[in-house]
Order: sequence, then structure tokens, then C-alpha cells
Amino acid sequence: MEPSALGNVASLAYSLPEIVLGAAVVLLFLLDLVVTRKETLGDVALVTLALVVVLSARLLWGDSAALYNGAVVVDGFALFFKLLLALAAFATVWMSLGSREIQKNGTGEYWAVLLASTLGLLFMASSTNLLMAYLALEFVSLTSYVLSGFMRHSRRASEASLKYLIYGGVASGTMIYGMSWVYGLAGSLDFRAIHTALMSGQGAALPLYVALLLTLAGLGYKVAAFPFHMWAPDVYQGAPIPVTAFLAVGSKAAGFALMIRFFFTAMAQSVGAGVYQLVGGVDWSQLILVLSMVTMTFGNLAAVAQQGNVKRLLAYSSIAHAGYMLMGFAVLNDDGLRAMLFYLTVYYLMNLGAFVVVMLVANSTGREDLAGYRGLAWRGGALPAVAMAIFLFSLTGLPPLAGFVGKFYLFAAVVEKQLYLLAVVGVLNSVVSLVYYARIVRTMFLEQPTGGEGVVAVDWHNGLLLGLLTIGTLVLGVAWGPLIDFAGRSTHFLAY
Amino acid sequence: MYAALFYFIAGLTVIGALGVALSTNVVYSAMSLLAALVGASGLYVFLAADFVAVVQILVYVGGILILTLFAILLTHQIAEIQVSNRSVGRLPALGLVVLLGLAMGAAILRAPWHVEPLAAATPTTYGIGDSFLNQYLLPFELASVVLLTALVGAIVLSRKELRE
Repeated sequence: MEPSALGNVASLAYSLPEIVLGAAVVLLFLLDLVVTRKETLGDVALVTLALVVVLSARLLWGDSAALYNGAVVVDGFALFFKLLLALAAFATVWMSLGSREIQKNGTGEYWAVLLASTLGLLFMASSTNLLMAYLALEFVSLTSYVLSGFMRHSRRASEASLKYLIYGGVASGTMIYGMSWVYGLAGSLDFRAIHTALMSGQGAALPLYVALLLTLAGLGYKVAAFPFHMWAPDVYQGAPIPVTAFLAVGSKAAGFALMIRFFFTAMAQSVGAGVYQLVGGVDWSQLILVLSMVTMTFGNLAAVAQQGNVKRLLAYSSIAHAGYMLMGFAVLNDDGLRAMLFYLTVYYLMNLGAFVVVMLVANSTGREDLAGYRGLAWRGGALPAVAMAIFLFSLTGLPPLAGFVGKFYLFAAVVEKQLYLLAVVGVLNSVVSLVYYARIVRTMFLEQPTGGEGVVAVDWHNGLLLGLLTIGTLVLGVAWGPLIDFAGRSTHFLAY
Repeated sequence: MYAALFYFIAGLTVIGALGVALSTNVVYSAMSLLAALVGASGLYVFLAADFVAVVQILVYVGGILILTLFAILLTHQIAEIQVSNRSVGRLPALGLVVLLGLAMGAAILRAPWHVEPLAAATPTTYGIGDSFLNQYLLPFELASVVLLTALVGAIVLSRKELRE
């Protein structure tokens, strides 16, 4: 009944996306030495990621399997995230090719480091072993520090990178200490073995609780959930815009993937019909519930107070969204997970879209502050302004946009589990978020340009990406069936 | 004798670590780190992990610590740092640390730790090599990609722009 994990050689056939990505990283490092036109490297990265998407999608029709003696796994859940993460990286590379910031400061290594980061993300989504999980997470962190500090002439970027590094070091140090507690209690690093040990009554509630809290520091830092969010505003503001988008969408999704897999396969027990039960006597769902409420409330209130920089505002907004998504985590069943996966996809479209508009404005005017958006619709930027309005209303959760459907499923799962307090806090937060999203929309449409802001032009390269993301946000608002079905099918973990 | 030696080495590690954290002079901190790292390597010996103990000395004491000392010596005015942000009170921090310490202490004392019988002190290198190339091949390979990328990244971040 229980198939064992495949060996190293037999696993190779299942890891084509990772192999291609790894080879491309090395290739790009080498190509950088001979190619003088650095955009070519970006094109290579783009093609590689398209290939990774195709190769990952192809695995959807194959079997699930535990690979490399149980280090990673390929199952519906992992593949869902691999597709999402590869698409996030694809969009990031696309954005980077059209970004003035990257063109001015970009070096050949940028593309290789970006692909390496993607490789780390893919492993985060499929790790079934604490050692592998830690390595993958640290890989993503290290590459993110480099990516966010890429504009070496910018004081802000250097500050962002340094803050990210110090904060990340503390967070992952805390996490690995927590993991050592888990190992000490369960006697294994493997998620399944930890699960078995906890089921057989090893471990006690208090030590496990401490271990989980410590572990949560590293995972919470990746998804930017409340007490571990401090890096987000500074890093989002200081990093180049495509990198910010990558961190907001990619890192966050991978952090959630790892968190879900660890908590649901090691710290919970499936009792059939898509319902999970806690094991080891630690009520971590209560913990997540509180974390969710605090995170969304903090993110939204801080965003309301934020008047200046739009990237910084989107950072607080992304903290708030981490809170919304944690709601699906706290309900402990497949409905919640499905809502989370769906919301992550929708979040990918609308948040990335918002960052593309921010980049378009920055490309033309070099400004990221709210005043730079004054009368955007009336000075050549009508298209991005309309798109931005769509993304922001979708982030708020207004019908008939994709964000509404996403929130609807999240709230439905919460209400079904009778967590009314959480639902009420969530709805109140959505109302609060309208304040600051609408403020941007008002600035773009209702205020007249004073003349000094400059004209915003849209080139076809960025316009195409913006159009695709807008269409996605609109279409998923009315025809969400296929995606929610796909998300529902992807909530199954391989019980190898 | 065995227990006394253990407590001596454990004490050395803890006192070294305290020195790193509490000393206001960076050079003293670095020297305390020496005690902490040597102590940690002694603890590995108690766990019958001979290879890790030696590597700990070679890499951390011999390599990283020396590099750290060089970095301190070559950095201008590193010994007298001005802490600019004192907005967070020390008292709340102390309270939080004491609370966390108590909770963790209680947890450590109560935890039913998974106990392995003490291994006989046999050479571990064979087992480590075998694990790297069989059981843990993927993490081993991934670690090498991590190191490659980190190396390139560090160079990218730290190199000076060439002005033409």
C-alpha cells in the first residue's frame, strides 16, 4: 500500500523542470562572459522558464512519486505550486526586460541569480524533509538578498538588502533552532516520520508548541506574516520593481507551500472527506487563526497610514493579504486549502499587475510616490490607470473581479467551520482596505495633473503583459470554475 | 571524570557565547567566538562525531574566525559603534526574554526527548561519504548550487563599479 521513495537515478525523470533550470543557471553564468548584449541573457531566461512551465505541466499527467530517497516529492500540490512559481518567475523576467531600472543597473548575473532563486522556490514547494526545506528556503533567501541589492548606486537598495539579510539571518536561525527541537522530539527530519512519531505519542504539547513557534518564525518571514513582517516595507520599497513583484508573489507563494505541507502532513492527520485533525496535542490552528487576524489588521491599518510611496503601500497590502490567505490555513480542511490555492493564483494576477503599472509609471517619470500618479489617466496613461483600478478593486475584493471570487471562497470556508469572529474581522479588514486602494484610484482619475508629472507612455512589451494580467483578473471574476476545480484537485498530498 | 570534562567544555561554549553577545568591543567578541567554537567542537567529540569536530576547528576556527578578525582589523572605526536606534525599551525586552526563557526551560525539562543509545566512537567518514552520495544526494547537490550562487552574488554586491 505504501510505495517507498524512488532512488536517485530513478528520480531524474521526474525532475526535468529542476534539471533544466539548474543547467540554465550555469549556462547563464558562462554566457555572461561571452555575450555583450545583456538582454540576450534575459531572453534565454525567458525561454528557459517557458520550458519549465511546459515540463511541469507535463508532469500533471504522470504519477505522483517520492523522489531522491524522500527528500522531495512530486504530487498534485507540488505541481500546482511549481506551475505558479515558474509563471511568477516568467512574469518577473518579462517585467525585467521592460524595466528601465534593470536596464540601467542590470548586469549579466541578474538573470542567473533570478533563475537560481526560482530553482529554490520549486524545491520549497516540493520538500518533504526538514533538511531539504531549510536548504531550499535559505537558497531563496540568499538569492533574494542579492536581487534586492542589485542597484548598487542606490542607497535605498543597499539599505533594503542589508535589512533583509540581517532580518533573514535571524529568522532562519530561529527556524532551524525550532527544527532541531522537532528533530529532538521526533527523532527524524522526514515529514512522514515526524508524523508517525507524533501519532505514536512521542513528543509533548509544550515542547512541540515551542518548536512550532520557532519554526514559524522562518516560514512567517517568507510569507510576511505579522510579527515577522518588519523587513517587507523597506525591502519592497528599496528593491528594483520586478524584484519586488517577485518577492511579493513568488517568495510568498513558496513560503505558503512549505508551510502548508509541513503543518498538514507532519503536524496533522487526515481523517477522510478532506478534513484534518491535529496531532501531538498542539492546537496550531488556533495559533494560525490569531496570526491571521493580527496580520491582516496590522497590514491594512499600516497601509491606511501610508501616504507616500506606492511600493511601500503595496508592501503593507501584501502583508494584509498574507493574513487573508492564512484564514484558509486555519480551517484545517480541503475547502480552506482549495480557497488558499485559488487566492494565491488570483493574487498572482492582480498584485503582479499592480506592480507592472508601478513600473510603467517609474519607467516614464522615475517616480514611485502617490503624487506621481496624479491625473495619470489624463496624461497618456489611461490604459495603465484603468488596469490599475481593476487590480486595486480586485485586491479589495469587489465583484465582479477575481479578487471577489477568491475572498468569497476563503470566507465560505471560514464560515462553514463556524469561525465567525475570523470572518467578521476579515470582512471589516476588506472594508478598511478600500480606503487606501480607492485613494490611489481617486488620485489617478479625479485629480488633475499639475503639469510637472510628465507623460506616461506604454510600450508594447509591457503593455502585452499588462493586458494579459488584466484579462486574467477579469475572466477569473466571471469564469472561475476550471481554476477552482484544478485547485481542488491539487490539495492532495502524496502519502508515500 | 567524563562528566566533569563534559561540563567544562559545555561551560566554555556557553561562556564564550555570552562573551560574544555581551562584550561591547568587537575584537573581544571575536575572540570569545573562538572559545564558543572550540567548545562546540568538543561537544561534537562527546557525540562521537569525529569528522564534524575536526571540520568545525578547520573551517570555523581556522577559516571563518580568522577572516572575521581580518575584517574587523581592516574596517575603519568598527570598535566604536554608535547605536542610533534606542527606541525599544530594555525593560520590555528583558521581560520578554525572561518569559520566553522560562517557557523554553520548562519545555526542555518536560520534553520526552528522542534518545539514541550512545554510539561507539568509530570513524564516521565512511558513513558521511556514503550518505552524501546516496541518501542525501539531492541536498548535497543543491548545497553546491547554493554556494555557487552565493559566491557570485557576494561578488556582484561588493565589487566596485569600474568607471570608464
